[in-house]
Amino acid sequence: MKDRILKNIPAGVRWFDAVITGGNSTPLIFKNNRLHSINHRENSGAGIRLNVNGRTGFSFTNDPDGIEAAVERAQNVTPYSDEENFSLPESTGHSFEPYDERIEKFSVDEEIEKGNEVIEYLGSKFQGISVDLGITSSTGTFSLVNSNGLDASYRDSIYSASVSVTYMPEGGAKVDTYESISSLYPVNFRHLADRIVQKLESASKPAMLLSGRYPLYLPPSAFIRFLGIMLSGLNSIAVWKGVSPLGDKLNEKFFHESFSLHDNPLLPGSPYSFPFDGDGVSGKEKSLIENGMIKNFISDLKYSEKLGMDMSGNASRGFSSMPMPSFSNIIVGEGSEPDRNLVAGIKKGIWAEQFIGLGQSNSVSGDFSANLDLAYLVENGEIAGRLKDCMISGNIYELLKGDFQLSAERETRGSALVPSVLFGGINFSS
Amino acid sequence: MSEKFQKALSSAEKILSSLKCDFADIRISKGSSLSVALSKSSTDSISTGETVAGSVRVLVDGAIGFATFNDISEIENFTRMAVNSAEKIVVKERVALSPASAVRRNFSTVPEIDFQDVPFDEKFELLKGYNSILSSHELVQSTRAIYSESVQKYAYLNTEGTLLEFDKKYCGVSLMSVSKKGAVMQPFHNSISGYGGFEKVTGLEHVAEDVVKTSVDMLEAVPVQGGRYRVILDPKLSGVFIHEAFGHLSEADFIHENPALKKEMEIGRVFGPQGLNVIDDGNIAECSGYIPFDDEGVMPEKTMLIKNGILSGRLHSRETAAKMNEKTTGNGRAMGVMKEPIVRMTNTFIDNGSSTKQDLFDSVDEGIYAVDVIGGQTNLEMFTFSSSYAYEIKNGKKGRMLRDVILSGNVFNTLSSINMIADDLQMFGGLGGCGKGGQGPLPVSFGGPHILINDVLIGGKE
Repeated sequence: MKDRILKNIPAGVRWFDAVITGGNSTPLIFKNNRLHSINHRENSGAGIRLNVNGRTGFSFTNDPDGIEAAVERAQNVTPYSDEENFSLPESTGHSFEPYDERIEKFSVDEEIEKGNEVIEYLGSKFQGISVDLGITSSTGTFSLVNSNGLDASYRDSIYSASVSVTYMPEGGAKVDTYESISSLYPVNFRHLADRIVQKLESASKPAMLLSGRYPLYLPPSAFIRFLGIMLSGLNSIAVWKGVSPLGDKLNEKFFHESFSLHDNPLLPGSPYSFPFDGDGVSGKEKSLIENGMIKNFISDLKYSEKLGMDMSGNASRGFSSMPMPSFSNIIVGEGSEPDRNLVAGIKKGIWAEQFIGLGQSNSVSGDFSANLDLAYLVENGEIAGRLKDCMISGNIYELLKGDFQLSAERETRGSALVPSVLFGGINFSS
Repeated sequence: MSEKFQKALSSAEKILSSLKCDFADIRISKGSSLSVALSKSSTDSISTGETVAGSVRVLVDGAIGFATFNDISEIENFTRMAVNSAEKIVVKERVALSPASAVRRNFSTVPEIDFQDVPFDEKFELLKGYNSILSSHELVQSTRAIYSESVQKYAYLNTEGTLLEFDKKYCGVSLMSVSKKGAVMQPFHNSISGYGGFEKVTGLEHVAEDVVKTSVDMLEAVPVQGGRYRVILDPKLSGVFIHEAFGHLSEADFIHENPALKKEMEIGRVFGPQGLNVIDDGNIAECSGYIPFDDEGVMPEKTMLIKNGILSGRLHSRETAAKMNEKTTGNGRAMGVMKEPIVRMTNTFIDNGSSTKQDLFDSVDEGIYAVDVIGGQTNLEMFTFSSSYAYEIKNGKKGRMLRDVILSGNVFNTLSSINMIADDLQMFGGLGGCGKGGQGPLPVSFGGPHILINDVLIGGKE
C-alpha cells in the first residue's frame, strides 16, 4: 500500500503523511456458560493526510484498489480546512514494540480450557449463575510514512480476557458484575473469577441507608471510571476550545496535593504503550498533575501548535481517523495508607464498585449523578450488605480538591495504574 | 469498485450453494462516508472515506464460526476459516436458528435531493450557517456542528436461498453550543438524521436557534435537589425512558438462557397501567432505526412488547427465538458487516394514551418537568436516564429551570408508577445511537407522548 500511496501524492503538496494498519484477531466468545462461537477477524487500511497551501485534507480506504481515489478526495477538501503550520517529525526516537512473541503461542484449545475452568469454578460457587466470557488474541502492525522522510512501523500484540456474570439467587436481587485483563501475551485469568466471587459474596444480603452525606470508598476499577469524568479536561482540544475548567490553570495548584497523574506511553509490558504516536512524535512520559498542580495537557501536533505548547506525543490514530489527542497508560500517584485501613476507618459509608449512568455526566463542569449498579454499605469498617436503587451525586473537581485519602497499593485496570480512594463525603439519595 | 462488489456477490452465491453445513450466511458491503465538523471559529475536521467489508457466519453441527475481512475477493478462504473455527468447538448444547423463509428482494433509499449530487461547497456553507447560529450569543464559549453522510451497498445471502440487497443513503447533522458564565458551563445539543437525502438536513435553522437559546438559558438553571419526585417526561425523554427501562429487558438474548430472568419476564406479567402500550417496529422508514430486513435476512415485525400494561412480546434474533420456541421478530442486528448480529431494538416507543399534556400538568401540585435527553444506561433491572434540563412544577405550572436532573428507576416498579399517558407521541433519532456488547452507536429511534410517573428517584444534594 505504501508504494501506491507515495506514487499517487500529487505535485504541489506542502506535506503529507499516511498511516497503514493491518491486523488480525481471534476472539473466542463464551455465552451463558459455554463456548458459543470462534471468530477470525482481519482488516487493513490506509489513511492519507495531506496539506496544500497550509490547509489539510484527509481520506481513508480499506480497499487496496482505492488509494488513488482516497488521495484525490483528501486533496479536494483541503481548501475548506483551516490553516495549519506545524511541521511533521523527521524521525522517531524509540525502537521498542508493544509486542511480545509469546502471543504467537496463543492456542485456541488451551484458551477454551481456561474459559471452561473459570465457568465451572463460578458455577460450583453460585448455582444458576450465567457466565459470559471473551478471550481475544490480536496482532497488528502500525506504519507511518511522511513527506519529511519518516518511515517507521511497529508490531503490536494484545491478549485480553473478560468475564461477566449475571447472578440471581432464589428470592434475591440480580447482580451483574465483570472483570477483565489485558496483556501483550496470553496469561492466566483465573484471579478474575476470584474477584467476582468476592463481589457476589459481598452483595449477598441487602442493606439500607437513609439519604444523606457519607464517606465513599472506591476500589481502583471504580476510581478510574470516576476519573473518566475529568480526564477530558486534560485534553488540549477542550483546553483550546475553552471548555476545560483546567485550561487556564497551568502551573496552578488546582487539586488536593495528594493527587498526581501521569501519562506514560513507554510503560514496559503494556499493550497500551507505543514508541511513537499517530503524528510520528516519539512517546514520552509526562506529568499532567503533580501534587495537585496542573503541569501539562495531552496533545497532538495540531493542538500543540494552536496552544503554543510542547508536543506531548499523544496523537491517537487508526487508518480511518485523523490524529486526536488521547491517553496512553494513565498512572495515578499512590497514597500512604494501606488499602485495608481506608475501609477499616469507615464508621458508616459506601463502597461503590459499578455505576449506571456515570457516562452521562457533565464532563465540562464535572457534575455527576449516577445509580449504584453494585455497591455495599460499610459499617464499622466491615461490609454490611448491598445498597441498591440509590444514587450518588457530586462534582468530580470539587471531590478531588477536597479531603480524600489514596491507598499505598495500586492495581492495573485496563490502561490505568490506580490506587483505591476514600472520599470524605458524598451525597447519597435513596 | 462496484464491479468488485458484484463479483463478490456472485462468488458468495456460488460458495453458499455448495457449502456443507447446517446453515451459513454471508454479508458484504461497500460504502463511502463524509463528515465535516466545525467549532466556534474553526474547521475541526473534514474526513472522507471508503470501506469494504465482508463476513461469513457458519453453523456446523450446532457450533458457530464467524470470519470478518476487508478483502472481499477472498470470500472462499474466509468461509473455510469460519468452518474450521466452528469445527474446533466441542458442542455442549447445539445452537439452532428459527425458521425463516427464503426472500429475494432489493431495497433502496429514495432521496428527494441526492446528497451525492450536491456540491461539497453547498454542504459546507449550510453547516457554516448553522454553526454561526450556534455561536450567535455572547455567552457561547464553544460550538460543534457536524454534518455526516454515508452511502452503502449492502447484500445479505444465506444457504436457504435468501438474497437481499439494500442501497442505503443516510445523512444528518449534530448541533451543539456550550455556554459559559463565570464558572458555570452548560452544553446543549440536538441531532437530526435519517435515511434520505439532503432534504433531511436543510431548513434546520430553528433547531440551531433552539440549541443556542437553551444552552444560554441553562446557565441560570439551579441544580436539582436529590429525592423522590412526581415527574412529567417530555416525548423525547419518555422515549429514552422506555428504551432503557424496558426495551433492553425485552431483548431475548439477556433472558433466553437465564431461568431466573425468564421467570421474571413471563408473557402475561403485569408491568404497567392499563393504558401502557409499548411497541418496537423496524418498518417505519422515516425513523433512524428503520431496517427493511435485519442482519439475518428476516423482515422486521411490529412487536407489541407491552399491551394494555401486560408483557406481550419480546425481541428476537433467529437464535434466541429458536431457543425460546417463539417466533423471530427480525431484531438480529449488527453494527456493520464486520460484527455478528445480536438482538437489538429498532424504533421503540410508548404509544399514545388518552390524556392531554395539560391533563398531566393539571394533576401535579408539586413535581418536576424533565425535558430532552443526554443519554441513558441500564443493567436491565435498574436504569438511569438524564434529562438535558428540567423545570419545577408548582400547582400545575412550570416554575424555575433546573439542571443536572438525572433520573433513576427500577423496571419492576417504575413502569407500574406511570400515572398518566398523553396523546402527543413523537419519534426521535439523530446521529449517534445505542450501544450493546461492544457494538455501537447503532441507529435506533425512540419516542413517546408526555407521561407522568409518580415516584422517580433523582440524584442530588438533599
